[in-house]
Amino acid sequence: MADIDRPARLSLTSEVKGVPMQHPLGGRGPRLLAVGVLSTSLALAACGGDDGAGDGTGSADTQGRDSITYALPPNATPNWILPMALPEYMATHNAAIRRALWTPVINVHGASGEVAWDHTGSLATDVEFSTDGRMVTISLDDLSWSDGEPVTSRDVEFWYNLVDANKEQWGGYAAGRIPDNIESWETIDDTTFEITFDDVYNQDWLLYNQLVNLAALPTHAWNKTSDDGEIDDHDRTPDGAEEVWDYLVGQAEQTDSYASNPLWSVVNGPFTVDGWTSTGQVTLKANENYDGNDPAGIQTVVLQPFTSADAQLNALRAGELDYGYLPASALDQQAEFEGRGYVVEPWAGWSITYLPFNFNNPDMGPVFQQLYARQAIQHAVDQDSIANVIWHGTALPTYGPVPQNPPSDFLSETQKSNPYEFDVDTSIELLTSNGWVIGDDGFAVCENAGTGDGQCGDGIDAGTTFEMTVLAQSGSTETDNMMSELKSSLAKAGIDLNIASEPLNQVLGQSVPCEPDEDACSWQLSFFGTQGSWYFNAYPTGERLFGTGATANFGNYSNPEVDEYIDGTLTGNDPDAMHNYSEALALDLPVVWLPSPAYQVSAFRDGLEGTGQDPLAVFLPQRWSWAD
Amino acid sequence: MTTMTQVAVPTGAEPPVRPRRGQAWRRFTGNRLAVAGLVVVALLFLFSFVGPLVYQTDQVHTDLASANLRPGTDGHPLGTDDVGYDVLGRLMVGGQTSLIIGMAAGVLATVIGTAWGAVAGYVGGRMDAVMMRVVDAGIAIPALFLLLVASAIYTPSVPMMIVVLGLVSWLVPARLVRAEAMSLKTRDYVLTLRAIGGSHRRAIVRHIVPNTVGTMMVNATFQVADAILLVAYVSFLGMGVQQPATDWGAMLSKGVTYAYSGAWWLIVPAGLLIVLVVASFNFIGDGLRDMFEVRGKNR
Repeated sequence: MADIDRPARLSLTSEVKGVPMQHPLGGRGPRLLAVGVLSTSLALAACGGDDGAGDGTGSADTQGRDSITYALPPNATPNWILPMALPEYMATHNAAIRRALWTPVINVHGASGEVAWDHTGSLATDVEFSTDGRMVTISLDDLSWSDGEPVTSRDVEFWYNLVDANKEQWGGYAAGRIPDNIESWETIDDTTFEITFDDVYNQDWLLYNQLVNLAALPTHAWNKTSDDGEIDDHDRTPDGAEEVWDYLVGQAEQTDSYASNPLWSVVNGPFTVDGWTSTGQVTLKANENYDGNDPAGIQTVVLQPFTSADAQLNALRAGELDYGYLPASALDQQAEFEGRGYVVEPWAGWSITYLPFNFNNPDMGPVFQQLYARQAIQHAVDQDSIANVIWHGTALPTYGPVPQNPPSDFLSETQKSNPYEFDVDTSIELLTSNGWVIGDDGFAVCENAGTGDGQCGDGIDAGTTFEMTVLAQSGSTETDNMMSELKSSLAKAGIDLNIASEPLNQVLGQSVPCEPDEDACSWQLSFFGTQGSWYFNAYPTGERLFGTGATANFGNYSNPEVDEYIDGTLTGNDPDAMHNYSEALALDLPVVWLPSPAYQVSAFRDGLEGTGQDPLAVFLPQRWSWAD
Repeated sequence: MTTMTQVAVPTGAEPPVRPRRGQAWRRFTGNRLAVAGLVVVALLFLFSFVGPLVYQTDQVHTDLASANLRPGTDGHPLGTDDVGYDVLGRLMVGGQTSLIIGMAAGVLATVIGTAWGAVAGYVGGRMDAVMMRVVDAGIAIPALFLLLVASAIYTPSVPMMIVVLGLVSWLVPARLVRAEAMSLKTRDYVLTLRAIGGSHRRAIVRHIVPNTVGTMMVNATFQVADAILLVAYVSFLGMGVQQPATDWGAMLSKGVTYAYSGAWWLIVPAGLLIVLVVASFNFIGDGLRDMFEVRGKNR
């Protein structure tokens, strides 16, 4: 997950050829990541399998076709449409669909091979920073909503007012960032507005991680507080903005009305919603009134949900999909699918994968608060074997908060070197030297409670068993196997892991920041990373993930020292800021680091064009088309 | 699934004719498929419960270094699965789960169904109508659906599966026993018991239920077979018992992932065992039916 409104999942790949990110402002040499993408050569374990001439089912004649069927990730159903997502609705597919309906003000994309400002897919034509670096002026293109009204600066201000008044509910919020860091917002004219920040920030970070949040919402259609309410400037008062927010969120929670609700028919993107079933199948059709630079290349796009990767694979084998994916367990069948008329290509991701600890869980929170306990858990994770055997080489170990691959200047030496290598004996030693004994059943029990040296730690009672439950995303053989492996290796270290598997939306819905006395705090560990847990913007900063109180800091992690490091990555020009941040979290273990899988190994029909795959995990259906 | 449409329901006024033990056994052994089923079930029990004592493997901890080995490799006669479990050993452990759940759920369903049906049939009237409408309503809801819902709400475990399967499978035996109870309650020996002051409870426990034992036993075998199949269905859909526990259905489900990769050892053995055990219990049921069905046969 990781985008602005799009945090929730994605992936990585083995060899991503670094291509320097194009600097949006010209001139200054960005020390940003070089997330090259396309040229990835995932180690596709092409071992044997049917070399498959196939029966040609998949190579149906594509000439004259005006539709495409795309497979959604396993057990993941789109469930949010409003271009301002609540934290539990930030899955990447939700964000991708919204972007097809409502063009972002600034779209950053990497499908072309370099992560850069994608002017074609953006409303903004120009972004100009003032000489003192505190002010930015943004110009919009002359575009229209689908009902003929013009897209104006007022529409972006409408978004800002709503987010400002309801920031605690907005999934993109992190304390001190947008909208907190905006000192003033001024509309210059219908297509130009000016934002003044409260401090001088790194301009690349501002552009790639902050301004990408901006969205234009149709104020002439949405600025109301009820279905029959009057359209007005409700958003310009905090109370009014809250009412409008509540109304829009209430409408967005009714997924069965997405195709019929007139609110959602007012779009400025290349598509409109034609169908949205309760099972998660979404049908997009080309917006006939679109007047932007990025029109749909195909008339109809069907986004098809599946309960499992195997079910998706069967549909792909039967030729029912134009754009699907091969699970890692099926990589040895690559030749067969190529014989059926599919092009198989890995989709690299700029992501990390992890299990967040719920530090506020009333039962296990006190245990998770102890660094030695987190170290014991991390030492019991055999990342190399998981990546190579379970993910068949399509995942790569992650040792810290910065994407491990492709290698970048952001990585600290500590994170590169894996500070907690797989060693079950060390895990046992960590526990037994801190007041735990291994019981007859093989699991550790706190024997020496207290806060002194050699004792279990604050809040851990004598007799406490080291037993925890992970809420894991279902639908993937690889994820199931990884959980089995974790349970097994943790058991060898005296730690009992229970596994509860649920569909992705349910896992995301339950893995929320919480207080210990809340019912919502019953979860202990959570896994939603079958395709990567978090997809970053170009700058892999952690203010939304690990900053105290951040909305995507699901596990309630809080460390003042880390907060300072995060601040350092956002302001100033200290070249060591990212290294400090990377090292601190590689050592402090705010989560259990796990191998990051590729977003997917795509299989799309030969003849389908525009399939460049974005490492930030956004797909652009408007770019898809059939070759003549 | 198997229905009980051919089960005998005594209708005469005299006490039900029970075949003598020797004759009954001869009728059972006269059904060769039933005997074969009995032998196979016995062998499967030995395989599942005694086998692990002879062929010892670690079915708790994964072994990624030994994952995906072909049969015959490194002392694994049936190879290993994708996390390194020995497949032969896993079949034994999975068999324990399948057989325990199947047997326990079958017995539970039979006990509940017998009690419900006996009371409904014996009491009759409005209570019978109400109780049987409950049965009708229950039968209208697919058992698999209820099982999937329960698995989604609660973490699947062996006791949970037994209880849920038992609770969704007692409806058919309840109907069968109720039909018999309605007939049995008009028999002279039951009426005599009531005339001399015997209680309803005694009539049900000492006369109605014992005289339905043939129907119950036959039905129980089918219940066991059905329960094993249901467990396999649920596990195949990914909502069975959680790792490292397994059952044959879960093994089959996992193996199907590799169906196109040539890993036959992950599919064929588990599938074969499911077919064998279900067919065997059905054959045994047929044999028991022959054993208890006395009309039209030599007495």
